[in-house]
Amino acid sequence: MIKIIVSGLHSSLQDLGRFGHRDCGVPVSGAMDLRSAANANALVGNDPNATVLEFMASGPVLEFNEAAVIGISGAMFSPKIDGKNIGMNTSVGIKEGSTLSFGSPSKGLRAYLAIKGGFSASIMLGSSSYYKGVTEEGRLRKNDTLYIDQSGDKPSKTSRTVVKTVLRFDSNEIEVFKGPEFDSLPRSIQNKLKNASFTIDAQSNRMAYWLEHSEDISAKDIITAPVQPGTVQITPVGKVIVLMRDAQTTGGYARIFQLSKSAIDLLAQKRAGEKVSFKMIDPLFHTHT
Amino acid sequence: MSRYPTYKMFGEHTILLNWREKIDLDIHDQVFLYARFISENFPDEIVETAIAYQSLVVYLKTGINAQLFIDTLIGRKIDVSELVTKKKQLITIPVCYDPEFGPDIQKIASTHNQTISEVIERHTTPNYKVYFLGFLPGFAYLGGLDQQLYTPRRSMPRPFIEKGSVGIGGTQTGIYPIDSPGGWNIIGRTPLHLFDATKDPPSMINAGDFIKFQAINRSEFDLLQIEIKAGTFRWRKEMHHD
Repeated sequence: MIKIIVSGLHSSLQDLGRFGHRDCGVPVSGAMDLRSAANANALVGNDPNATVLEFMASGPVLEFNEAAVIGISGAMFSPKIDGKNIGMNTSVGIKEGSTLSFGSPSKGLRAYLAIKGGFSASIMLGSSSYYKGVTEEGRLRKNDTLYIDQSGDKPSKTSRTVVKTVLRFDSNEIEVFKGPEFDSLPRSIQNKLKNASFTIDAQSNRMAYWLEHSEDISAKDIITAPVQPGTVQITPVGKVIVLMRDAQTTGGYARIFQLSKSAIDLLAQKRAGEKVSFKMIDPLFHTHT
Repeated sequence: MSRYPTYKMFGEHTILLNWREKIDLDIHDQVFLYARFISENFPDEIVETAIAYQSLVVYLKTGINAQLFIDTLIGRKIDVSELVTKKKQLITIPVCYDPEFGPDIQKIASTHNQTISEVIERHTTPNYKVYFLGFLPGFAYLGGLDQQLYTPRRSMPRPFIEKGSVGIGGTQTGIYPIDSPGGWNIIGRTPLHLFDATKDPPSMINAGDFIKFQAINRSEFDLLQIEIKAGTFRWRKEMHHD
């Protein structure tokens, strides 16, 4: 059993997402930075979809009442076991009775704690990802208890694993494809969107990132239509909103861009106040899957 | 001409089919049938589909090239006229319009120079079409609100609206399926649980259905709550005739 001593700013359990229910208005959810979550799972030999603990900005403090093997990947926190530094992007054994803390990240925003076997969590509509209304809670709280999943056959990899490519989240270029309404915007607005610098607003969260700018841009509303994580919307008064993992499934604002999969992961590591710009790529020449 | 959609990529593994920019029952029938056709015919390529008023999104599996899939769909010359239209159901939603549950009903009545009874009468008369679900898990976009009930959204959204609340926002009416913040004018509440994540499908009403509101008083509301809790409540569903 693992007890939450300090909850951190926003900690939750996540997997790769909830699929097959968007026609019922159920958001996809899942880890904000899917690649880092999968890396954390790989460190401990888990399936990429095993449940991980996502935390951000100010990490949680966890008391382990059983021994476990853990792996941490994502933003550069300074994890410690009983006050002693441990590495990220490597598998680490933790003894019963130890306390794990993370501090704050020197770079990036969100990181993932994977535990060998995965965290035990209720599967709602095919996923363990927290989303209030689908799952009972939207976030982890002080004194909550977590359990290691003991069900099923677990991979028995015991050798020490490290992540080969450590992500550094250096780039401020967010790769995008044209969104459904891009071509209907005036050329002048298209150019402004391509060249502008945007600042991430403090109200950004798992549902959406709000981008501040000083450009004279806007687009008229559309008949409510499908949206997905990574859809960039622009409102009639010029607000620019990037939908993230917990986004609703339909929306009425013009959809000007669609982030590439890796761009969503990158943006999830950007903090309020950081600057980003959009870089348009052509889907036909984009081979990343 | 409104029968055939245009095809667009919407990111690496997503495609979008668009029909004419109009909220229209016939267009929506096409969207609905295309969604069924694509879901049934391409289970190996797609993760899921979702629809809106005049558009259909197809989420493809990783590794399926969106442009090639568009070419496949266009080459397939989809003809949905052969699909047998499923019988549409009409689901009755009991609503208590008591001001305790509908804090804005008096305001709506005054705005339109109507009595509360007239508002209830107008709201319970139509058979509303469920175009699609979105905004919140289980939230149905309904068509058919009486024009004389059109009311702008509240200028200050409420931070908390209890699940089951029935509201009017602009030209639309709808039911909040889960607790949520919201800006619609709240006129009543249903005791029914429209969204239940422990069930599959989780939503009790779905795109293509029709719903009808039925006014109930406060004691009927309480009784229904007891029946729902006891598991003896039965949904009222009948065939809808266009």
